[in-house]
Amino acid sequence: MNRENNSIIVTEDLKKTYRDNGMEVHAVRGVDLSIGPGEFSAIVGPSGSGKTTLLNIISGLDSPTSGKVWLKGNSLSEMSRRQLSDFRRDQIGFIFQAYNLIPVLTVRENVEYIMMLQGIDKKERHGRVRDILDQVGLQGMETRVPPKLSGGQQQRVAIARAMVSQPALILADEPTANLDSETGSSLIDMMYTLNQKTGMTFLFSTHDPMVMDKAKRVITLKDGQISEDIRKK
Amino acid sequence: MWFYIKLAWRNVLRNKRRTIIAGIAIGIGLACLIFYDGLIIGMEDVAIRSATDSFIGEAQIHREGFQSSRDTVLTINQSKEVFKELEADPLVKDYCSRTLAMGMITSPANVNSVMLVGIDPQRERTISKIDDAIKEGNFFSEANPRDIVIGSKLAEILEIGLGDRLVATVSTAHSGDLSQEMFRVSGIYHFSIADMDQGLAFIRLPIAQQMLGLGDQVHEIAIKFNQLKYASQKDIPFWKTFSRHGNEAISWEELLPQLKNIFEMTGTFRYVMAFLLIIVVIFGIINTLFMSLYERLFEFGVLRAVGTRPWGIFKLMLAESGSLGIISAVIGIVISLILTGLVAKTGIDYRGIEFAGTTFNDLLYPVMKIYQFIVYPAGLFVFTLLVGIYPAIVASRMSITDAIRRSL
Repeated sequence: MNRENNSIIVTEDLKKTYRDNGMEVHAVRGVDLSIGPGEFSAIVGPSGSGKTTLLNIISGLDSPTSGKVWLKGNSLSEMSRRQLSDFRRDQIGFIFQAYNLIPVLTVRENVEYIMMLQGIDKKERHGRVRDILDQVGLQGMETRVPPKLSGGQQQRVAIARAMVSQPALILADEPTANLDSETGSSLIDMMYTLNQKTGMTFLFSTHDPMVMDKAKRVITLKDGQISEDIRKK
Repeated sequence: MWFYIKLAWRNVLRNKRRTIIAGIAIGIGLACLIFYDGLIIGMEDVAIRSATDSFIGEAQIHREGFQSSRDTVLTINQSKEVFKELEADPLVKDYCSRTLAMGMITSPANVNSVMLVGIDPQRERTISKIDDAIKEGNFFSEANPRDIVIGSKLAEILEIGLGDRLVATVSTAHSGDLSQEMFRVSGIYHFSIADMDQGLAFIRLPIAQQMLGLGDQVHEIAIKFNQLKYASQKDIPFWKTFSRHGNEAISWEELLPQLKNIFEMTGTFRYVMAFLLIIVVIFGIINTLFMSLYERLFEFGVLRAVGTRPWGIFKLMLAESGSLGIISAVIGIVISLILTGLVAKTGIDYRGIEFAGTTFNDLLYPVMKIYQFIVYPAGLFVFTLLVGIYPAIVASRMSITDAIRRSL
């Protein structure tokens, strides 16, 4: 079912309950959220507030117990596993806290992997990899493997990987948590610049004040519910 | 798919130590299978050679019914024509003719029943190894027509030695009258086959024919082919050619059915061995793949998260399994070459050991065949792919969030 809406993400009464050691945990309790195109937003809140669970549901990595999620007007709950895979591949870029690059692939191979899945030809892939690595400041590092890079460099590769296929949405789960403040700050600045330049939507999950400060919209989660939603000018 | 194969190779080689250990473990299994197969072939080869070379030959021609009845009347029909055809047959290397008759041998001390075999010593040398088995005296090297060569066990029973005299008694073929001749022991052989060492006594063909009243007729022609394999090829013209005129040509497989049965049994053991090794291989591969899977769970999670379809993960895991199979096969081939090469140099000494009615005369060498290095490694590869299906299914169906949670 399509939902005609300008928003990139729409959630409706989203709930997620799971069992942990026999106990029922209500990670998300009725979240209604709408994220517009080109937003640079952050979901914040203390540990256990449901940030990561919400991000997982929005990205189709996890399914809600009840409620609906639309991404670019497409209902995720109505998609098969394969359709979800293809949808994530084409519409969502992921940036993880621990970079999560494939250590046996070079920087170029990590970045071009999604484009390979999309069936983009080699020449175009290499051109786009070059461009994005220039933009994230990793020119000349195409043939290095992740274990030979610093944490900041690895996160830049992860950002390049997330953005190279020009998805509608970039989801970043605690992207600065493993970085020192200087590196984290420069990366957030870089992502903001890219957001402004490309118009891609960025949604962070964080409790890093630096990210909150930079975000144009801060959605606070508390006990699985939105307690505050502040849009900055 | 090529990308997944490339990625799989890198993943497999990432933890070299584990891959090599797993590869060696699986490779040893393959090497054992190849070595065992080579050894079985070598053993069969030695057993057949020992059996056929010692006395019976690779094939024999008899009059129909002689083989079962041992009736001395049943001599080979049209033997002269048969000899001519044997001379002309390109598959036949050598042959010799014999008379065979049950009789009694008497010494001053004892008496024993024997199969009195009349032979042409010169021709017999080309077929059997009686002359090689002589431990005392010689094999009809003197011109004495009344020489007799007996087995060591028979000499012991009769309490006689070289140069001693003994009397052989047989029934003549047609009349059944008793015919007796005195012989002098010129040679004593030892085959380590009790039946032969006790039950066979060899005399010259003319005197045997005379005792049996056969004229120039014979009971048996033993044959050696240019290649042993002809004895098992039932479609060659040889069998038809010499199974005429009331005669029958039979191979060692029919003469020594117990040996053939043993070979069929060892063939079954080969399958059992292969099955056991496959079980070892299956667990080795599953263990390695699951270790690798759980160690890199987050990577699979990431691959799925960024859009890899479950089928892609399945292919990747299967490619890793196949890569491990190839590495193991290469290691197995190298180990088997070393193992077989070493044993092929020294051989295994089972000489004198009796086996299915025959005695190993030669050292046992494993025999390498090309198929062992193609069929078994290919089988191993196919099995690794089949075994890899299970972890591949697990990897492709796992929860993405569970897999990624480890890295968050």
